[in-house]
Amino acid sequence: MSGSPLIVLDRVCKQYGTTPVLRDCSLAVARGEIVVVCGPSGSGKSTLIKTVNGLEPYQSGSVRFDGEEVGARGTDLPRLRARIGMVFQSFELYPHMTALRNVMLAQVHALGRSRAEARERALALLARVGLTERAEAYPADLSGGQQQRVAIARALALDPVAMLFDEPTSALDPEMINEVLDVMTALARDGMTMVVVTHEMGFARKVADRVVFMDEGRIVEDRPAAEFFAAPATERAKTFLSKIIAH
Amino acid sequence: MSYQFDWSQVWQHRDLILDGLLVTIALSVAALVPTLIVGMLIGTLGASTSRAGRVAAGLYVETMRNVPLLIHMYVWYMALAFLRLPAFLCAVLGLTLYSSAYVAELVRAGIAAVPRGQARAAAASGLRPWQVQVLVVYPQALRIVAPSLASLASQLVKDSSLASVIAVAELSYQAGAIEGQTFRTFEVYITIAVLYIALVLLISFAIDHVPGLRARRPIARIADA
Amino acid sequence: MPEPVLAAVVPEVIRDNLPFLAAGFAMTLRLAAVGIVGGSLVGLLLGLLRHAEIPVLSRLAALYIEIVRGTPLLVVLFVCYFAIPALAGYRTTAVAAASLGFVLFIAAYLAEDVRSGLRSVPSGLVRAGLATGLTRWQAFRLIVLPQALRRIIPPVFSQYVRLLKFTSVASVIGVRELTGSALLVNAREFQPVAIIATAAVTYLVVCSGLSLVGRLLDARLSIRT
Repeated sequence: MSGSPLIVLDRVCKQYGTTPVLRDCSLAVARGEIVVVCGPSGSGKSTLIKTVNGLEPYQSGSVRFDGEEVGARGTDLPRLRARIGMVFQSFELYPHMTALRNVMLAQVHALGRSRAEARERALALLARVGLTERAEAYPADLSGGQQQRVAIARALALDPVAMLFDEPTSALDPEMINEVLDVMTALARDGMTMVVVTHEMGFARKVADRVVFMDEGRIVEDRPAAEFFAAPATERAKTFLSKIIAH
Repeated sequence: MSYQFDWSQVWQHRDLILDGLLVTIALSVAALVPTLIVGMLIGTLGASTSRAGRVAAGLYVETMRNVPLLIHMYVWYMALAFLRLPAFLCAVLGLTLYSSAYVAELVRAGIAAVPRGQARAAAASGLRPWQVQVLVVYPQALRIVAPSLASLASQLVKDSSLASVIAVAELSYQAGAIEGQTFRTFEVYITIAVLYIALVLLISFAIDHVPGLRARRPIARIADA
Repeated sequence: MPEPVLAAVVPEVIRDNLPFLAAGFAMTLRLAAVGIVGGSLVGLLLGLLRHAEIPVLSRLAALYIEIVRGTPLLVVLFVCYFAIPALAGYRTTAVAAASLGFVLFIAAYLAEDVRSGLRSVPSGLVRAGLATGLTRWQAFRLIVLPQALRRIIPPVFSQYVRLLKFTSVASVIGVRELTGSALLVNAREFQPVAIIATAAVTYLVVCSGLSLVGRLLDARLSIRT
């Protein structure tokens, strides 16, 4: 199996009512690959990555994760999702729990680890994202950058085989963006399979293997990062890039 | 089930029920007006910059609402019996003192929810302090608390039923009287329950459909969130 | 309190009837405890039903809540003491009927608090939970419910305080709780000022105490966002 791609989307279509959100999206992500998805807002990029762990149902086409059809009736979604880490734009830390308990929760209840084991793993991951001293802090007492790093630790705690990032730095103040990108870069260097929706083109240039450009629910370009940044093939991608970089 | 329904007895006493309903409405209105006035005054005091004013308002609110309404009524009707106040007036006084504490707390919260910049901007434009309150602060504060005020009004209508214990011949009192004569327990109490529900629904219907009241609801929802 | 101080503060009529009044006070606390515990359980269940949007059950829960919230407590107690036993053909006592009435009554109000608490938890948190492999039920139990319950501590405690005050209404159907005992003592001694004032102060102290507990609990458990 290790030769075949980990994530395969094949002609995925989705609409809200009559409004199409995803049109015939096909994409393959190999193990260890870093794919950055970009495009104007409303282009469907967030929806696209949420089909991978079944948070967004789709109407036609197929999404496979490690050979398993995500949208199939018999799929054990909780078990599948525990193998895919996800990081959200607005962190979504549980406000009634400390950072440590946020990282422990799914280990205990989704994976069935003992509390002691979950705690040890959580502390190790909080150390890895540089937040050892903030383990007992509540989300409200953490900065945005710290919250997002806890959220990354929470996702990593399940020992996922792939990570999905949905605009992880969009809700952050500029001075905090780098602390989160640094953690993500380190993760990429360790060989994690990652699909990242982001506008951080510096990160994409440095880390991504491939860049996927979306517009109006379609995947318009899907090319090696170096090629994409050297010369985008489409006019739309060119306009998008010039806007992003100008600002 | 062995119970035999007989609604005819209730129908025979419809004039008593109607009398009771009218007294309930009269009592509710008679209590609601002073309740709103006292509540507005105490609430404004509670939101004022004067520390003494806030403490006094807080004491009023805590004292009045932590004593049961029934005791409020007995205070005027029994403890202060030497004043020889009519029972209806005792009920109005009891309801007013009790309910105004809730209104005051709402008004205070409503005023606190109006951004301070609003009052500053109004003062900066040359309005006098009372004008700032009446023209700028109150309208916004009342919009914020309008739905809660409406539910307090329904509460007051239901609470007025306790006036029956001091012999005010309102709806619950008449129900007891009819029940005593006819022993049609179930029919009588279901009938008056339905009448109270109808009154409460009427109030929420009015809030939803009277123009000017309705527009206030979305604003309140934003404030809740 | 030393004897002389007690004598100076507590009127003679109260000291003379202290055991009787104390028993009444104990009954007040008992009724409130039954209402709080039973009402919270039923209210939680109704609130969950309303939230879950199960086809028929949720509608029935909504109907129940609307009906009870539209009916005065006095009428609810009458229905529980007279109407339901007459209809269903069983005998009841005033204490049992009052306990049932308080549970049924306050549950309808608590259910709405539970529902609004559940609705106030952002759906993004549930998605985050699901994304980590929790099942829907786990996400509800571990993420939604604990937050909802902590958020509704203030309104829930104000319902508890309201119930504590409302136990006085049980005196109307003949329960000898604090108000009922006070009225009986007054009928014998006829010293309404001292007796009503003592009852009022007792309620004031207990209700203030209960709302203080609510505030302390909220300060400890409330979720900062």
